[in-house]
Amino acid sequence: MRILPVLALITIAACGTKKPAHQILHVDIRGMKYVPDSLAVRVGDTVEWTNDDFVPHTVTSSAFDSKSIAPHSTWSYIATTPGDFAYNCTFHLTMVGAIIVR
Amino acid sequence: MRTSILLVLSSAALLALAPSCNKKKAADSATGSGGSAPVVETAPVTGSAGSAAAPTPPPAAGPSDPQIAAIVVAANQVDIDAGNLAIKKTKNPEVKKFAELMVTDHTAVNKGAVELVTKLKVTPEETDASKGLTAGGVEARDKLDKLDGAAFDKAYIDNEVAYHEAVIGVLTTQLIPAAQNAELKSMLIGVKPAFDAHLEHAKTLQATLEGGAGASGGSAAGHKM
Repeated sequence: MRILPVLALITIAACGTKKPAHQILHVDIRGMKYVPDSLAVRVGDTVEWTNDDFVPHTVTSSAFDSKSIAPHSTWSYIATTPGDFAYNCTFHLTMVGAIIVR
Repeated sequence: MRTSILLVLSSAALLALAPSCNKKKAADSATGSGGSAPVVETAPVTGSAGSAAAPTPPPAAGPSDPQIAAIVVAANQVDIDAGNLAIKKTKNPEVKKFAELMVTDHTAVNKGAVELVTKLKVTPEETDASKGLTAGGVEARDKLDKLDGAAFDKAYIDNEVAYHEAVIGVLTTQLIPAAQNAELKSMLIGVKPAFDAHLEHAKTLQATLEGGAGASGGSAAGHKM
């Protein structure tokens, strides 16, 4: 029965080192820009883009593609793969952004 | 080919906005200056010449909110219709892509404008300016429709450059300052970056067409407004 205290210790230790929950991070699309245009996230985090412009936009990279996001709509992506992902709007090519997944 | 006429048609209606919108108020207030307004006049804020004495706050000259609503819808519709014509006629993939973008974006702006105006219970009020825009758009499209191939592409893109320059000018100097409702004003301000991007895109295409399609021959002359 000496195993019980050990288990309890393991549980406490596990709780102590518990990683913070995955976050939801926001990017606004307004004035034909991504704000912020660069964002560092961790694997498992969710990035949410909200189109505050009056025209549709996309969030498109090698790893993800929102397709058309209507004005005043939101699209989200769960970061699953570490790496640097530059993205752009396929409609308005001057619009560029990046997420850095660690 | 009279491509210069094409350029002027739709944008002339836009540039005529200020005088025609002010006409009503001018007639209300003092001795109406009557006559036909000159076409190109992008007079900024200064407005009425009146007394140059005391720094009285300038009256809210320019179109009313219902008039602005009608102008915005008409201006967007002109470019939607031109875009639809270009989608039908052009064989150039870049021009087609641009035209599709114009249709998508200006349709979205109009949708937003109509939704806002409905929410605000503002009934768009047609003016000489909004009617002139629509008529100018029809005329420009008729002219464009008679062109084909590289000549069409060039005339369409030249027209888009002139149109967006005129829209941005009127938006900045007339509509935004005149808008009374905060949400309407905010929408006009919010829409401007998209129009700026359209203008840059059109200018890039214009340069490409002028550089690459030197073959389109003599019509490269006289693109002045």
